[in-house]
Amino acid sequence: MNHSLLMAILLLSPFVGFLINGARYRKNGPNLAGWLATTAIAISFICSILLVADLIGMPAESRRIAVSFFDWIVIDKLKVAAGFVVDPISAIMILVITGVGTLIHMFSIGYMHHDKGVAKYFAYLNLFVFNMLILVLGDSLLTMFVGWEGVGLCSYLLIGFWFTDKDKAAAGMKAFITNRIGDAAFLLGMFILFMTYGTLNFFDLNQLAPTVPEASWLGAATLGTLMLFIGATGKSAQIPLYVWLPDAMAGPTPVSALIHAATMVTAGVYMIVRLNAMFIAAPNTLMIIAVIGAATAVMAASIGMTQWDIKKVLAYSTVSQLGYMFLAAGVGAFGVAMFHLMTHAFFKALMFLGSGSVIHAMHEEQDIRKMGALKKYMPITHITFFFGWLAIIGMPPFAGFFSKDEILWKAMTSPLGHPLLWAAGVLGAVMTAFYMTRLMALTFWGKSRVPKEVHPHESPALMTIPLIVLGLLSIVGGWLGINHAISSILPGHPANVLEHWLGPVLREPSLDGVHHSVTMEWALMGVSVGLAALSAFVAYHFYVRSPETPKKIAESLGPVYRLISKKYLVDELYFGVIINPLIAFSKNLWHHVDVQVIDKTTYLLADLMKGGGSVVRTLQTGNMQQYAMYIGLGLVAVLSFVLMR
Amino acid sequence: MPSTDVINQIGLSHYLVLSAALFTMGFLGVLMRRNVLVMMMCIELMLNAVNLTFIAFSKFSGRIDGQIMVFFVMTIAAAEAAVGLAIIVSIFKRYREVNIRFFEHLKG
Amino acid sequence: MTADAFIFWFLSLVAVTSGLSVVMMANPIYSALSLAMTMVSLAALFATLGAYFIAGVQVIVYAGAVMVLFVIVLMLFDLREETKAFTRGQVSGALKIAMIGFLAGLIVMVMAQGVKFLAAPDVVDAAKLPEDSSKALGLVLFNRHIFGFEALGVLLLVVAVGTVALARSKGGTHAKH
Repeated sequence: MNHSLLMAILLLSPFVGFLINGARYRKNGPNLAGWLATTAIAISFICSILLVADLIGMPAESRRIAVSFFDWIVIDKLKVAAGFVVDPISAIMILVITGVGTLIHMFSIGYMHHDKGVAKYFAYLNLFVFNMLILVLGDSLLTMFVGWEGVGLCSYLLIGFWFTDKDKAAAGMKAFITNRIGDAAFLLGMFILFMTYGTLNFFDLNQLAPTVPEASWLGAATLGTLMLFIGATGKSAQIPLYVWLPDAMAGPTPVSALIHAATMVTAGVYMIVRLNAMFIAAPNTLMIIAVIGAATAVMAASIGMTQWDIKKVLAYSTVSQLGYMFLAAGVGAFGVAMFHLMTHAFFKALMFLGSGSVIHAMHEEQDIRKMGALKKYMPITHITFFFGWLAIIGMPPFAGFFSKDEILWKAMTSPLGHPLLWAAGVLGAVMTAFYMTRLMALTFWGKSRVPKEVHPHESPALMTIPLIVLGLLSIVGGWLGINHAISSILPGHPANVLEHWLGPVLREPSLDGVHHSVTMEWALMGVSVGLAALSAFVAYHFYVRSPETPKKIAESLGPVYRLISKKYLVDELYFGVIINPLIAFSKNLWHHVDVQVIDKTTYLLADLMKGGGSVVRTLQTGNMQQYAMYIGLGLVAVLSFVLMR
Repeated sequence: MPSTDVINQIGLSHYLVLSAALFTMGFLGVLMRRNVLVMMMCIELMLNAVNLTFIAFSKFSGRIDGQIMVFFVMTIAAAEAAVGLAIIVSIFKRYREVNIRFFEHLKG
Repeated sequence: MTADAFIFWFLSLVAVTSGLSVVMMANPIYSALSLAMTMVSLAALFATLGAYFIAGVQVIVYAGAVMVLFVIVLMLFDLREETKAFTRGQVSGALKIAMIGFLAGLIVMVMAQGVKFLAAPDVVDAAKLPEDSSKALGLVLFNRHIFGFEALGVLLLVVAVGTVALARSKGGTHAKH
């Protein structure tokens, strides 16, 4: 089939779904709206598969399907086409977005069945997918930015979906405003890159970047990529702009799964991978990215250990896992970042949907202290969640093991890596294993703390089927990227399929000259897996066998525990340092400048006009002959002027 | 020269002065008469005065376009008279009044 | 005094006198008749200026049709007695007369200035204006000004319809039922 046509259907199908559901948002019932939206995404998914199948058929070096629909902006040097590209990088993204998206839409039909605004919900969700596809398919920074802003808007709309609750509306606002800060930096980055290289096209930028040497330690490439990275910290919830993501859990749970775990928040990682050669040309930026990624991974994981809200735990886990992706990108291992992005999309979407299933069963209860022993009530949710748990704590052979291990390996061995980054990664992995086991234990295992009036039940098939599919993906998803050491003992299995797939389009730092033995690879793998398993065991012991121990430890830690459980007081810090002074300053402006100066000036002008009008009004007597006389006087004036001249 | 023989040597200036006189008389009527009908007549008078200048200029500059303009003005004047009179008639039918001071509803 | 000069002075005297009586006469019917007189004298002046066709139209349309219209309306109104010809207000009246006088002076002065711009203002360029000006007028009207002519036709149609509509309405645009 024609590529342009396929691309058009791929992009427009969710948009058409949005239009139909959006136009009939009062009339469409849950089933109609839900299946319509799901079908729209499924059509996109089929188109994606067809496109990627064509892509696989092409020779490895020239795998690229580019479609340009029309010239969008042509101003002097700035030429931006409405061009969309499927290449190995965006192929992974569109498959994840539409594939996981279809499952989550399907899950939503069951989850949102009793909601009044269900058609509106599906309209937003479809609009989100449309924008996300523009984001990943766009062939220039500007096209990407359109989708970038579009997904931000949809995220805002969906976080504040239950906007009658003030806290939820505020959470939406917080996400939107925090993202604006990042977006401003993203725009600045675009300006800098355009000024320097004269193009915004990804492929041109990637080709030009290595040819222009950096003038200084903070040259155009470094500054531009740094700005883009700040944009990415906003969208992908990294330090210092991560604060919106935990609050974003105010939205419906499938939204958290789709937007705030699987797709939108990975846009920053995708952008960096997309501009890999550009970022390689700016090693200073890469170093900052790696450090911030590692710091976020550790910090978010430590907060995750102290949270009691099932979705908050998952939210901090997402922040932490995104930190891993940035760590990978920061050490130049772009392929691994994409790999972890993909596996994370599978298992985190699974866990969010699983938590949605739990919340659904518990009648909107999210506090894990009021759960426990749900295993016997919800077997399917439990078993799928169990797979997700194994995947995220990095147990072989589940998906998360391969990607996380590869990240740690690269953090150690890459020319841009450092043992400290590796250590931070392992620390994060240990903490991840701890809080995830804690979540499992408190929710599904141990003794039941469910209030008597609540009767948990397994969710309907519409919700469990996506869980099962995602559970399977969480098992096998990692097998696309089996590393050298393991593949050497697996006869017949090719090593690292994904790396070969992405290799031709990525410019990663050369590993030549850096020789690391397979023994060391095994050793590092053993250390991280062993520590994570130990940590998981400790958590299991704490929360299932002797539930008193964690409290004692928390008490003995005292202020440290309180600091962590209050999320390091970052929100309070932002309020104290930025937001409150800004509000106070604005109030001063309001009281003194706006009311005293601007308002008074305009009122004065208005009064002048009114007074003048009431004077001039007396001329308007209604006497026609007087009007004629005015004409005559005017004539006299004009003629006098003519004569005087 | 005109200055020496104003009486016999009839030139453009004579016509212009005559038309100015008629125009101002018409204007005076518009400004001062009470009767709306007479005001209309005075407007016709003013239009005629203007027509006279057109014809005079046409004659003294040797171009026919002035007469075309007069032709057009006449048509417009006839139309204006017809509509104006129709309005006056319909107002009169309702109020039995033709005094211009009676129609002072355009007050500000 | 030459014959041409005599005709001009005579006709202008008639025009000014009858024009003044249009403004001054208390009885509207006299005003109307004076206006007809003015128009006839102006028609004669047009003829002396070589605009024979215009002179004819002036008599037929103005002195004929339009004046008849005025007289018929006057007859319909049946205004037996017009007690006061002018509107009240001596101050405004004086102001108006003063303004008119001033305006008259200004118009004459401006015209006097304007005349200077013509090449030879007081010399009749007989060669330029053709003898049978009616034919020339027709040629120009139906060639160069055909669009204006057609537009006027449309205008007259609109006026005819509008007048009939106005006449049918019973008193003003906000008819009472």
